[in-house]
Amino acid sequence: MTVSLAACSFASFLRTFATFFTLLILSFTTLPATAQDAAAPADASAVESAEAATQDPAAIVQSFGGKQSYDDTEEVISRLAATGDPAVARALRALREGDLYWRESDEAVFIAARDGDNYALTDPYTGEEAGTAPRGDMSKVRVKNSIRNAVTGALGSLTLRSDNPGQRMRAANTLFDEANPDMIEPLEAAIEAEEDASIRTAMEQARAAAILQSDRPEEEKAEVTSVLAQRGDRQAQTYLNAFAASTEDDAARVAATSAVAQIQSNINFWNQAQNVWYGLSLGSVLLLAAIGLAITFGVMGVINMAHGEMVMLGAYTTFVVQELIRNHAPELFAWSLAIALPLAFLVSGLVGLGMERGLIRFLYGRPLETLLATFGVSLILQQAVRTIFGPTNREVGNPDWMSGAFEVGLMSVTWNRLWIIVFALVVFAGLLLVLNKTVLGLQMRAVTQNRQMASAMGIRTPWVDAMTFALGSGIAGIAGVALSQIDNVSPNLGQGYIIDSFMVVVFGGVGNLWGTLVGAMSLGVINKFLEPYAGAVLGKIVVLVIIILFIQKRPRGLFAQKGRFVDA
Amino acid sequence: MTDHFTTRREAAEQTKVLEEPQGQGDTSTAREELGGGLSAPPANRTVADEGPMAAPKSGSSADAALCDSAPPSEEPDAEATTVEEPVVSPHPYATQLRNERIAKEKRLGARRETLLYLDGVNKTFDGFKAINNLSLVVQRGEMRAIIGPNGAGKTTMMDIITGKTKPDSGDVFFAGDVDLTKYDEAAIASMGIGRKFQKPTVFEGLTIEDNLRLSMEGSRSVLETLFHRKSGKENDLVEDILEETRLGERRHAKAADLSHGQKQWLEIGMLLAQDPELLLVDEPVAGMTDAETEETARLLRKISETRSVVVVEHDMHFVRMLDVKVTCLHEGTVLSEGSLDHVSSDERVIEVYLGR
Amino acid sequence: MIFAKYLGPRVWFLVLLLVAAAILVPMASLWLPRSHPLHVPSYAVPLIGKYICYALLALSLDLVWGYLGILSLGHGAFFALGGYAMGMYLMRQIGSRGVYGDPVLPDFMVFLNWQELPWYWSGFDQFWFAALMVMVAPGLLAFVFGFFAFRSRVTGVYLSIITQAMTYALLLAFFRNDMGFGGNNGLTDFKDILGFSIQAPETRASLFAASCIALAIGVLIVGAITRSKLGNLMIAVRDAESRTRFIGWRPEYVKLFAFTVSAVMAGIAGALYVPQVGIINPGEFDPVNSIEVVVWAAVGGRGTLIGPVLGALLVNYGKTVFTSIAPQYWLFVLGGLFVFVTIFLPRGIVGTFDHGWDAWKARRASKEREMGEGAAEPAPGPAE
Ligand SMILES: Nc1ncnc2c1ncn2[C@@H]1O[C@H](COP(=O)(O)OP(=O)(O)O)[C@@H](O)[C@H]1O
Ligand SMILES: [Mg+2]
Repeated sequence: MTVSLAACSFASFLRTFATFFTLLILSFTTLPATAQDAAAPADASAVESAEAATQDPAAIVQSFGGKQSYDDTEEVISRLAATGDPAVARALRALREGDLYWRESDEAVFIAARDGDNYALTDPYTGEEAGTAPRGDMSKVRVKNSIRNAVTGALGSLTLRSDNPGQRMRAANTLFDEANPDMIEPLEAAIEAEEDASIRTAMEQARAAAILQSDRPEEEKAEVTSVLAQRGDRQAQTYLNAFAASTEDDAARVAATSAVAQIQSNINFWNQAQNVWYGLSLGSVLLLAAIGLAITFGVMGVINMAHGEMVMLGAYTTFVVQELIRNHAPELFAWSLAIALPLAFLVSGLVGLGMERGLIRFLYGRPLETLLATFGVSLILQQAVRTIFGPTNREVGNPDWMSGAFEVGLMSVTWNRLWIIVFALVVFAGLLLVLNKTVLGLQMRAVTQNRQMASAMGIRTPWVDAMTFALGSGIAGIAGVALSQIDNVSPNLGQGYIIDSFMVVVFGGVGNLWGTLVGAMSLGVINKFLEPYAGAVLGKIVVLVIIILFIQKRPRGLFAQKGRFVDA
Repeated sequence: MTDHFTTRREAAEQTKVLEEPQGQGDTSTAREELGGGLSAPPANRTVADEGPMAAPKSGSSADAALCDSAPPSEEPDAEATTVEEPVVSPHPYATQLRNERIAKEKRLGARRETLLYLDGVNKTFDGFKAINNLSLVVQRGEMRAIIGPNGAGKTTMMDIITGKTKPDSGDVFFAGDVDLTKYDEAAIASMGIGRKFQKPTVFEGLTIEDNLRLSMEGSRSVLETLFHRKSGKENDLVEDILEETRLGERRHAKAADLSHGQKQWLEIGMLLAQDPELLLVDEPVAGMTDAETEETARLLRKISETRSVVVVEHDMHFVRMLDVKVTCLHEGTVLSEGSLDHVSSDERVIEVYLGR
Repeated sequence: MIFAKYLGPRVWFLVLLLVAAAILVPMASLWLPRSHPLHVPSYAVPLIGKYICYALLALSLDLVWGYLGILSLGHGAFFALGGYAMGMYLMRQIGSRGVYGDPVLPDFMVFLNWQELPWYWSGFDQFWFAALMVMVAPGLLAFVFGFFAFRSRVTGVYLSIITQAMTYALLLAFFRNDMGFGGNNGLTDFKDILGFSIQAPETRASLFAASCIALAIGVLIVGAITRSKLGNLMIAVRDAESRTRFIGWRPEYVKLFAFTVSAVMAGIAGALYVPQVGIINPGEFDPVNSIEVVVWAAVGGRGTLIGPVLGALLVNYGKTVFTSIAPQYWLFVLGGLFVFVTIFLPRGIVGTFDHGWDAWKARRASKEREMGEGAAEPAPGPAE
């Protein structure tokens, strides 16, 4: 019985780790691809520039340069309008305001703003800064009223009639921001023609914004306040506020004020949503940091004070991997995290295994001594890393798919946070699978519940301990890969997480991964909700106090292990 | 509450239990007179097998005897006779209330004569019923043996009595009217309930003498211990117990250096020092030699001369040596109760022990 | 005196040594000429004084860890609170000699544009009040914290972790400027204590002497506690907490008492420390500091009276020497010390020595007994 179990458990060990890895790698190899798909709509201009390759809008913008008749200018305007590229709006608007200049030397076109004796230049198409030029070197693209009208018309028709719905949507949004009374009619025409309901709504909102700015009758303005209230964002609120302040008509003011209030509640809602999001994001970081600790603490009752250093080792592994890739195979950079993951798991896992075999196993049954010895190890690891890599922060890059942000409603979501949440959940799920579906997992649960009984059943508890410790440390290493994306990679990285991770484990309860999940997420959310009222530091203190009070009520955490073996 | 255990302490001070075991009668009456200021009748420990709650046939019959309080007016039973007293108010509801009150008093009155009273106790661990409608009554001065297969809930029952585990439902009363479920371990211990664990636990870092001194009956104020001086009385008691438990030679040795059997004895010695009114002993002879077992039985019998004892034990030989009333537990309920011969001839007990 | 019998000669020797040091070291520093071989250089006086304060801190930890089994990872917090209380007194003594010359407000408050002293700074211009607060602040914190923690039976590593969280929370709090304790920079630039210049060699010598006396008293108090019945009760709680409940004790009160006394001792150590090093800042709340205290006690031998004192002196002297030779390797040494002590020297130096001594005595006694029996004498038991 024992022999067969032992043999089978070694095989199972291999299988366990294989399963875990496959899961991880799968999750991460799909990342770059999916990330690009997902990123596509956010970065649509790239797609469109391919579409309009024959008529490169940037090139057309450049044809404003040189001495031109008004007719030439108008022709360029209509050509720009025909591209349907919303990015040309910048140049057109600059033209209308008289901010568009061309350089005498090469007839290159810029948006220029006075800056002392120089002009500060911006690229008229991309909006990037383009250095400065002496005032004498630049000439203005001349405009008159008919040109201005042409620009306005072009701006509207530019994209409102585009075939690309995304573009029409963006045009409507641009016009909303502009709120130009001249655009009311083009908008109305476009609304007539529009078939997509959501775009039509956006256009109606743009029209409403424009109407508020126009000199139309107050009744009409009061009518459209409800349209703006529907939109519910800060810009709409600004328009309405201005209108409420300026209008003479009582009914209109009441309508505007109620619309403002409606928007305010909408904004509040999204603020809360943003807080929850930040909280979940913090929670997932805590989850990553704490989950390995929860396993070692749950199974062995061992407090590993060097756990934070395992996280740090994972982060430094990422750093080393990225350095190697930068120097030898830069094209692999997008894959650097996927490559770092298994390595970090191995590095931290092996260090953990070494710690268990060389140190902790001599200290079983003496949890306080274990705590001290592992603290000693944490000092040594920190100093070792400091000696090798230096005491300062090391630069770990974000691959493209980890950077940037997008908007959901009124809240902004950064990709790296999103991926870390996803990743934390994947690690969590993977660990659940390992615990529930593999022999090692079964044995770990058995040992957690009753060590003596498990050992009497032929489970080699020392082996389970060693593997548990290696697994917990390895997961800390993986957490380090993720944390390297959002935190400074320095020898102190781990220290910043250790107390929080302990709090998560204590709060969630030992021996139950779900407890860790709930503990991490609720601590994250509580923290972020306290921050606006108490400030970051005080919020943290309040959370610590809450936890200390909480374990008054439930000394064994939210999801306590039950049974008599618990109270020794 | 406090007055209860102070009075108990005073009572214990009046008579030195160990020195004069023949003075037991005085001790118990002194205790009972002082106990909570109640007018409890003298305990009939010699007639423990008779009286109102004598030898209930099964677990539930304990409450049948003690606490059946069916609406008295309908049934012409014991309670009905009380209704014949002059009726104060003709209103039927008033009569009913009064009858209920009288029934309650009567019930409590019966309970007052008991030392330990468990009724309808339930305890569930994660859906597993460890204690199931358990009822048990121990008289003052009685020694009771509890047997039952492993997992029958014997230890859990002790946990409930000593406050370590809170029951889900049911009554647990000590000395008639002290609801034990309301107190924690320390308070219950101070009331005079001592407990010996299945696994001997002594204070390994202390000498044997200090182990005994710490257990010794007396003030439990932490600050007082800081200024505590050893008194002559204390020293005498330590001497007695050391002699009784045959640990005198090793009095200055650390408890950690004792053998397993010696630790068991030290623990019993600590209980003696604690001088409890009720002693709960969990598997005292596990891992003992025959000679040690016999010696332990002798010691327990001696102890039971001056106080009530509940012994949990597997060892039938040992239980026979004790020669007391036996309760057999199974799956958290009383299966059978009576003399050892009665219990061991009960078919259900045989079935439980031998399997089917 | 009964005391003498209980404490044993070794502890009395330590106490006498401390008293002698309190008298002789200042004399050797102040009055012996520089050239004299026994002259104590003036920089060494506050340095050794600092070690002595650490020793008192280690001793206070030993009271709860060695005798009661509570591994507090937050004793640095009590030390720092005592230090802050003393620092506040020293701050108020600066008076108008600060950079901004405000007669009442300390410099950092002027800098933060505060108009008046916060209420919790009042009274600290009186030494007696500050001295009281040195004990009350850590004692109160320990009492409240312990009340909650021990009542809900939080023990073992859980307790260690929440004590660590406690000091961590305080670290964060004291870093804040609006707490009114000088934020990041803490309290420094002290001038006078009780009217004497804090820089003067005589003042430093007196502070040194005070530290030695405080440590000697600390050893006696811990000795008195641990040799009383309460001391036995503490060991009982350490060895089998739940058993003590079943004989009627309330371990939570035992713990609360020892924890509070210990915190007060730590606070006093901190108060003596601050004027000798001239600064107190939030860094003292760093959890790492608290853990270092644990290793001092562990090295010397917990559960003994002289162990923690010895350990604190040895480790800190080692630290001073080592950081002057190869500062970057000190953490390796410290980390290695943690590992080494827990694995190879769990009883610490003093404990290991005692253990070996006891074993040797026991062997000799049993040998004597055998010989006695061999000589067919009526065997008397081993003499106690
Ligand atoms: N704290 C507890 N948690 C879960 N189950 C328990 C606990 N205490 C006791 N049990 C269960 O209750 C049952 C009765 O146990 P116990 O009282 O120890 O039996 P006995 O002492 O008669 O052998 C057992 O099945 C045991 O597993
Ligand atoms: Mg049992």
